[in-house]
Amino acid sequence: MKGESMRNDEREITLGEYLAARGVSRRAFLKFACSLASLMALPPSAGIAMAEALAKAKRPSVLWFPFQECTGCTESITRSHEPTIESMIFDMISLDYHETLMAAAGHQSEAAREQAMKDHYGKYLLLIDGSVATGLDGAYSCIGGQTNLSWLTEAAKGAAAIIAIGSCASYGGIPKANPNPTGARAVSDIVKDKPIVNIPGCPPIPAVLTGVLAHFLTFGSLPELDPLGRPKAFYGETIHDRCYRRPFYDQGRFAKTFDDEGARNGWCLYELGCKGPVTYNACATIKWNAGTSFPIQSGHGCLGCSEPDFWDKGSFYRPLSVAHWGNKATLGGAAAVGVALGAAAALAARRRQDKIVKGD
Amino acid sequence: MSDLRDTAYATAILHEVADLLAKLAADGSCGAIDLRAMPLGPADRARLEEVLAQGAVKVSVDAGGPSEIFETVYPGVWWTRHRNDAGETVSEFIEVTDCPQFLKSQPDDIRAGASGLRRLLE
Repeated sequence: MKGESMRNDEREITLGEYLAARGVSRRAFLKFACSLASLMALPPSAGIAMAEALAKAKRPSVLWFPFQECTGCTESITRSHEPTIESMIFDMISLDYHETLMAAAGHQSEAAREQAMKDHYGKYLLLIDGSVATGLDGAYSCIGGQTNLSWLTEAAKGAAAIIAIGSCASYGGIPKANPNPTGARAVSDIVKDKPIVNIPGCPPIPAVLTGVLAHFLTFGSLPELDPLGRPKAFYGETIHDRCYRRPFYDQGRFAKTFDDEGARNGWCLYELGCKGPVTYNACATIKWNAGTSFPIQSGHGCLGCSEPDFWDKGSFYRPLSVAHWGNKATLGGAAAVGVALGAAAALAARRRQDKIVKGD
Repeated sequence: MSDLRDTAYATAILHEVADLLAKLAADGSCGAIDLRAMPLGPADRARLEEVLAQGAVKVSVDAGGPSEIFETVYPGVWWTRHRNDAGETVSEFIEVTDCPQFLKSQPDDIRAGASGLRRLLE
């Protein structure tokens, strides 16, 4: 109980006071805020204003529920060994329930969940990773004898907002792939009366969650979302739009196998099935592993893992022009921004793929 | 020719820096470019580092991990790289200003320092 009381006291102080008590200087916090502003596609000057607002913010209670998932999303967000911008998320919030991270287990952990929901009813943030099993009334996925479905519907009632982490929570993801034996659904298929932010990706970029939480704390609202419920700051442009290999697409220079001259020269991977032109995510700019690289930079096309039903859209190695991705308007848009050489190469890719399909 | 194609983004950034520097010279208005928001390839980065080479001032700051800030050979153009304690780059900017905000002492830190020093002397 003493520990519980201390945690509540800590939540009442501002984030600035919380960090100052831990020896974090305002200059260090300014650096953190400027980096956050950078992640959120805000102008660098916004970092100063963000630092001011964040310092005055109270740390919200956060409940994180894992449903039909592989723990890859949690791994992505927590794997940092040293303090990083992503790990500072745990300074910004009071994480009151997370099965993988919490020390409590069994009845004690369930009691902690229920207590946090009661104490912060209407104010807590609900984070979900994994899809929601709905088959057999949700019996395919249970925790503590209760279905994920019942947990979600109960906890959603008292949530200020819900953040669906990863493609499974956002769209159903791999558990929903054909033939979807568990009746997997997205969080937004179940909850209709609460604001929901989708952070898709398999896994999602960890800094995106930090950015969404920072926006909530700084502005007291959720960030602007696209029609699929994704924050526009991170999902506003396609991988293709921001890819450093994009100039090669415009020049009609494509790798045609994974070991030809084009591949060695770092040319565009469109003909090798890259889904970058129809995939909205920030991998090309934020990148992975502390900004080291992203799949295309490592020589493999984008799989489109942050788009709905990416697993059921045919081979990852078919060019978009012959795959089941997007629609004519989307692909037309992608082609329109390229030059004639790019479009001609796309046509050549389609012809080549037709030959492969026909066995010529 | 191949180099020019490989460094298209660097060329665009350098033109933007030139425009910002002209503004700074004209009316003192500051600006910044977020390098992590740009899809830079290895050749782009090499080109930027070649043109915006280190000038007379280089500063190291230890606040939430090391930060390196240097003025380029073009006075008023600063290159700022923030790292975390593991040495990973968390943000990187080209700032066009007379002095980056991050180098200035922050008011809250000044107040805390003033009271701390007073307590020490009492």
